[in-house]
Amino acid sequence: MKNFIFIFKSAIEDFSRNKLRTFLTSLGILIGIFAVVVLMALGLGLKKYISDQFETMGKNSLFLVPGRVLSGGSFTGSVSSVSGRFDDRDLQTLKKINNIIGVAPLAFKSTKIKGLLKEDYGDIMFSSETFADIMGLEIDTGRFFDKSDVSKKTKVIVIGSKIATDYYGSIEEAIGKKITIDNVKFTIIGVTKSKGGGGMGGFDYDKYLFAPYTTGFIFNPDKRFFRLSVKVKNENYISQVKEDIKKEFLKRYKDEEFSIVEPTELMSAITSIFSVLNLILVAIAAISLLVGGIGIMNIMYVTVSDRIKEIGIRRALGARKSDISYQFLAESVLLSSIGGLLGLGFAYLGVLLAESFFPAYIDLLTVIIALGVSSAIGITFGVFPARKAANLEPVEVIRYE
Amino acid sequence: MEFRLAISSMIKFTNVSKEYKIDEGYTFFALKKVNLEIKEKEFVSIMGPSGSGKSTLMHLIGLLDRPTNGQIYIANKEISKISDDEISRLRNEFVGFVFQQFNLISKLTVFENVVLPTIYSRRSLDFSPQERTLEILTKFGLKDKINSYPNKLSGGQQQRVAMARALIMKPRLILADEPTGNLDSKTGHEIMMLLEKLNKEEKITIVLVTHEVDIAKYAKRTIKIRDGMIEN
Ligand SMILES: Nc1ncnc2c1ncn2[C@@H]1O[C@H](COP(=O)(O)OP(=O)(O)OP(=O)(O)O)[C@@H](O)[C@H]1O
Ligand SMILES: [Mg+2]
Repeated sequence: MKNFIFIFKSAIEDFSRNKLRTFLTSLGILIGIFAVVVLMALGLGLKKYISDQFETMGKNSLFLVPGRVLSGGSFTGSVSSVSGRFDDRDLQTLKKINNIIGVAPLAFKSTKIKGLLKEDYGDIMFSSETFADIMGLEIDTGRFFDKSDVSKKTKVIVIGSKIATDYYGSIEEAIGKKITIDNVKFTIIGVTKSKGGGGMGGFDYDKYLFAPYTTGFIFNPDKRFFRLSVKVKNENYISQVKEDIKKEFLKRYKDEEFSIVEPTELMSAITSIFSVLNLILVAIAAISLLVGGIGIMNIMYVTVSDRIKEIGIRRALGARKSDISYQFLAESVLLSSIGGLLGLGFAYLGVLLAESFFPAYIDLLTVIIALGVSSAIGITFGVFPARKAANLEPVEVIRYE
Repeated sequence: MEFRLAISSMIKFTNVSKEYKIDEGYTFFALKKVNLEIKEKEFVSIMGPSGSGKSTLMHLIGLLDRPTNGQIYIANKEISKISDDEISRLRNEFVGFVFQQFNLISKLTVFENVVLPTIYSRRSLDFSPQERTLEILTKFGLKDKINSYPNKLSGGQQQRVAMARALIMKPRLILADEPTGNLDSKTGHEIMMLLEKLNKEEKITIVLVTHEVDIAKYAKRTIKIRDGMIEN
């Protein structure tokens, strides 16, 4: 359509004559789209980070934690105190339940660790042979401790790759060496594969040490556990096992004294909280889009008054009302799209910069939304000035001086 | 296409009035019960003192305005019965305007100004807009100005660009409202000779508004107007 091409061509020519005004007019949209896109990118990044964190936990696991963690899909806050910890009896209860193929209790110890090159405070996780599987830990060199290590309470330990390099120089150097934990000597039998991660409250497993929980009773005389993890045979049994655990535990505890958490359930709860927060932020940012749209409307009204004579001439030469209307609409849509494109470009640069310390990314949907919204703003706020231009009486504007 | 056929009556006004409401209760009559007929191929001049309603009459003929009362027939069509888009089409294809203040679009080049009416045409043209534009501008001695902007041209050159623009769509009617008003008398006569040639050679109907007697002489008939009324 020659008319269509002509309209856009003349609008672009107009803008190139008025670069500064064009830029200033689309600045509102630029800032709005920038803010919305960056926030959406951060939201997406966060969501991906959370799901990656949960991905590392093995499939078909359930976690038992003291106190109330989840209710109705959201946090209620109160994670109960030390008194609500589990003990060996609970561990035995779990082992008796059908279709559970592994149980991993968890106890923590923060203490002085002495290696070849270094002596410093570190954290040890005491658990069972199932732990590696449930938490998605992989071994780089050596082996994870096994069932017999647990039953024989052997003083073996698996260390994170960071610990290996910090305390021994390299993974190879660490294997088979002794490491002193609170004056007790352990033999290093394996080093875990680096998982990266950490930060933002997640565990950085590379900086942890892992030993059998039975051996850990040396440091944990009342045999208490911070958490109990369970590996279920396959996903079909998850809800049944959950029911069974609940039934057994209710014999000893009150309903609010323990929680059974499914990682996916927890993940969706956390994700939904962040999604709502993100949506609120995006909505606030969208207000600047509204302001930007009003700015465009204002300039378009000025443009119409500035060009009354031109409108009259075009009408005298045979332009229909709709031709005039489209001409001004094209200009406002172009103005807001220019703002949208620039905003998207700056947001892309911003995300590139943020990437190194915060997970953020822009997906296709965000791009489509950004461009769609900016042209929709151009249409919405351009309609009234365009209609004003189209409805000018040709004779009035021809007489206009 | 129907306008290409022989139309004996080009313009016909019956009891046409144009009123302007000035204040509550006071109405100004710019035209009072005007009756007139202009036939095809005529060259008519309209004369009258300032404020007598000449431009008002031209705007009505050129479909830029609608009358308060009475009927206007353009090529035997009663204009109050046709839609706004249809009127736009008639302005585009049937009428060519030439104004006293040239009315070129300042941000468009000479070439773009002349080609502009073809952009608004909704039918396929029997000529190439680019070629015809170049042809007319060459004929008017403006070939080396096609990429200039109007403000770089003399008054006479600007008026010739406006004439070229009026002719691009091959109109049957040219309306010229004081086309020589802003020109010196030599340039004015050059413009008039161009109009005269169009009437003689291309049989285009021409309606001219002027208050200069020697300009009105180019026309074959003169209509005199005073206080919104035709004088006999
Ligand atoms: N929109 C309007 N509102 C009120 N009065 C108007 C309007 N347009 C025109 N008039 C009046 O109508 C009368 C006729 O105006 P018109 O422009 O037709 O005069 P004219 O004969 O062309 O004069 P000139 O020779 O000065 O161009 C004038 O008195 C003018 O003031
Ligand atoms: Mg006048």
